[in-house]
Amino acid sequence: MNRKISTYIPLLIGAIFFAYPFLWMFFASLKPETQISELWLLSKNLNLKNYSIVFAKIPILRAFFNSLLVSTTITLSVIVFGSIVGYALSRLNFKGRDFILLLILFTMMIPFQITLIPTYVLIVKLGLVDSYAGLIFPGMMNSLAILIFRGFFTTIPQSLIESARIDGCNNLQILFKIIMPLSKPAVATVGILTFTSSWNEVLWPLIVIRSEKLMTMPQLVTIFVVGGQAGSQLGVQLASATLLALPIIFAYVFLQRYFIESLARTGLKE
Amino acid sequence: MVKMSKVDSKAGYFMVMPYLIYFAAFIAYPLIFSFILIFHRWNIVTPMEFIGLKNFVRLFKDELFFKSIINTLIFLSIHIPLQIVIALFFANLLNKQIKFRSLFRALYFLPVVVSSVVVTILWQQMYAYETGLINQVLSGFGFKKIPWLVSPEIAMPSIAVMATWKNVGFYIVLFLAGLQSIPNELYEVAEIDGASSFQKFYRITLPLLNPTVVLVIVLSTIGGFSLFIEPYILTGGGPLDSTLSAMLYIYNQAFYFNHMGYAATLGFFFALVILVVVIAQRKFIEREVY
Amino acid sequence: MRFFLVLSLLFFVLGCSFERKDDKDQANKKLKYWCAPNPEEIELAKILVDKWNRLHPEIQVEVQPLPAGQSSEEVLLSAIAGRTTPDVCSNIWPGAISEYTKAGGLVALDEFEDFDSLVNARRIPVELLESFKSGDGHIYQLPWKTNPIMLLYNVKIFKEAGLERPPRTYSEFFEACEKIKQLGIFPGYTDIRPIWWQRFFDFYPFYIASSGGKTLFKGENFDIDYNSAVKVFEFFRTCFKMGYFPITNFQVDPFLTGKVAMRFTGPWTIAYLERNKPDGFEYDFAPIPVPNDHQGKVYTYGDPKNIAIFSTTKYKREAWEFVKFLVSEYSDSLLLEICNQLPIRGDLLENRKFTGYFNRNLKMKVFAQQTPFTRGIDSGVEMKEIFDAISREFEACAVYGVKSPEEAVRNLIKRSKIILEWSK
Repeated sequence: MNRKISTYIPLLIGAIFFAYPFLWMFFASLKPETQISELWLLSKNLNLKNYSIVFAKIPILRAFFNSLLVSTTITLSVIVFGSIVGYALSRLNFKGRDFILLLILFTMMIPFQITLIPTYVLIVKLGLVDSYAGLIFPGMMNSLAILIFRGFFTTIPQSLIESARIDGCNNLQILFKIIMPLSKPAVATVGILTFTSSWNEVLWPLIVIRSEKLMTMPQLVTIFVVGGQAGSQLGVQLASATLLALPIIFAYVFLQRYFIESLARTGLKE
Repeated sequence: MVKMSKVDSKAGYFMVMPYLIYFAAFIAYPLIFSFILIFHRWNIVTPMEFIGLKNFVRLFKDELFFKSIINTLIFLSIHIPLQIVIALFFANLLNKQIKFRSLFRALYFLPVVVSSVVVTILWQQMYAYETGLINQVLSGFGFKKIPWLVSPEIAMPSIAVMATWKNVGFYIVLFLAGLQSIPNELYEVAEIDGASSFQKFYRITLPLLNPTVVLVIVLSTIGGFSLFIEPYILTGGGPLDSTLSAMLYIYNQAFYFNHMGYAATLGFFFALVILVVVIAQRKFIEREVY
Repeated sequence: MRFFLVLSLLFFVLGCSFERKDDKDQANKKLKYWCAPNPEEIELAKILVDKWNRLHPEIQVEVQPLPAGQSSEEVLLSAIAGRTTPDVCSNIWPGAISEYTKAGGLVALDEFEDFDSLVNARRIPVELLESFKSGDGHIYQLPWKTNPIMLLYNVKIFKEAGLERPPRTYSEFFEACEKIKQLGIFPGYTDIRPIWWQRFFDFYPFYIASSGGKTLFKGENFDIDYNSAVKVFEFFRTCFKMGYFPITNFQVDPFLTGKVAMRFTGPWTIAYLERNKPDGFEYDFAPIPVPNDHQGKVYTYGDPKNIAIFSTTKYKREAWEFVKFLVSEYSDSLLLEICNQLPIRGDLLENRKFTGYFNRNLKMKVFAQQTPFTRGIDSGVEMKEIFDAISREFEACAVYGVKSPEEAVRNLIKRSKIILEWSK
């Protein structure tokens, strides 16, 4: 009995530490300015005023769609291209295959700090500043995704591929009709990883996007809070942060197992 | 393996093509361009000016830049150990036979998926001096308020604590997986030999968990070096430049002051620092194992 | 007879259509005008452009606000590089002028023959105009509007503390602070974050006041007035050390809630205060305090925004005419009415066109008096980074007291030299 308590109490305290702040933030955004700093969640004066101010001041719905568009496109692209390259590297034999594999591993080691500025310059030269393309292109391919697919594909039995080839399928058909349906865990992992990291990405949009109409959600909220448009109205700032958190939390509630498992799997991959 | 026909080889090249194009455009070109940019002064709008080694001269006179690197190292030196200790602690608890394990795991993991922006805005309120949550709890218990973000000594550690809160869920999951892969028999044998819990932990758990620990350290280090959005939102680099991270400084140089060439030089130097640290870490940690 | 009528009618119609084509060729003179992206200035721009278009059918102006959420300086610089500049822009920040001229983008306004008479008609003081000159001796920006930074104080708290009038010198300021402190209120407040533009609201106005109107540069050389800078650092250090200013950032406006008695701000605050003030709240403005041994007028920082003509324009003469219209008495009176911002003119209180406005907006009178005695940012290079350096020294010396004022200013000069040396 004692053992159980000494196990559960720290776990509970931990749970409070990790979850309560979010709850507090949500309720604080519903309170009038003077009551915000209260620790206790509930109050008689809960209202949605701060949210209406956020919606009036910044195009947050638009930013939500921007984020959705960009993240979805990037995720699809990473899955499609990552699987193609991963397939080529795992099931096809050609000169230079190992060299390319080394190249991919090398790429993963390069700190982004060194390529950040020149990549920005490239985007400027291509005229892609303030465009969706500028946000999407640099993210279209991901070395980790390639490695994950490659690793998974090596476990597909050769016989399946052989029989498909005999049936006259070309490589792309083999990949998408036979292999991918069998690779749901890999697709889920890559999908969730890519989507989450691109949704939360804020440094790159801050650099590449200046026009409010094209900003992603985290970027818009950052500028809103740091730039002073929210004035010193705390409730409004918290409301915008809550709005930013909602989509991912929503997805998380339903897909929580997949989130955790895919992120954990990447760790084990190393 | 069956020897592939020539046709397959060509298909291989085609399929790898997307990556090669991407590599050429977004990795090779930027790398090469950065080597060129380092020797120029440029604000993007007016033509590039060749200035030889002037960027390096400025870099070595730039006390602020070196301070920013040290700040980043301070951050790492607090964040990483804290993370490992806390993650191990909770992973250990979760490894036991308990109910609601996935619920706890899900809650601990929640901050990991939420955007750093949300976490930072939230903690800005937790850390506020007058009305912040933490200080309210402290005053409630009769303690003095702590100037979390306003004191030059405490500001960076405060950010390190916040970063730990955000990321530790991920490492709890990693450690949990690592713990669960340790065969139970090892513990049973040790118990028969009369080992205490402490000995079990020190002699069995830690060594077997070493690969995971290494992984955690490497991932946290690489992540820690890109510290940017937290100081950007919370403190703007202050107080007294104590939270100015290297990335924040480089960002300011490039995008506030438009010194593209100088910023590229800083980025290049910083990347070297990172490589040195990562290699040194690997050597040091690997020595630990043997 | 009817045939003749019909013929002449035909000719008339044909002739008109030809004429209209000519008009179209004439009316093809189009000017692009970019204004600041805030709602009031957009409204003002639209009204002015409408009036101009009606009066000048042969030179049509098209107005467009600069994109919001983006730094105007960046937008203009990119436009200069991409040769997509407008003809006229009225959101020119003096600190960026040298970047624009370096990129070859602006027309020298003093080359127009009626430039001098225009300046005189607006009674712009000579030194003020001088301060907008570029390194090459030309003037590329026409002074348009300013927002002088002054001392804002809570009249009721002052009365309670037994203060009859706002402090004029540093000693008077400290005395006032002591009295206010007895009431348990913070006498003053300034945002302590080391963000470069924050210093426009504390260090820089005080420096300009203390130095009698000197800015940081002389031509292209960094020439800070050492003594004035030291005095200003010393002033703020005392304020923080003696607890007159809090070392914290408030989340809710402390001036409105009566937690703080004084602030340093500009005329835009009036609209904000009027909208949000609690009942019985009284406030007023006064000039920035100066060192005890100060002689002469009290200057301050004016956050000016000016008008420029870009060198890509095809109609230099017409653009200049439009610019003159933008600073006419008519336009200036609208600037006051609609935007509550002050045109850079020396005759604000004497000119009858503006009397109505100032009678209705008494608080603005103090600002009007201050307007001829303002300074902007030098048009030297690297102004942002230099102010960033000032912010760091300010933080270290004034807010946290870890450096002496002399050390701070010396450090500032050192770092500015490095910044400027590198940019040559």
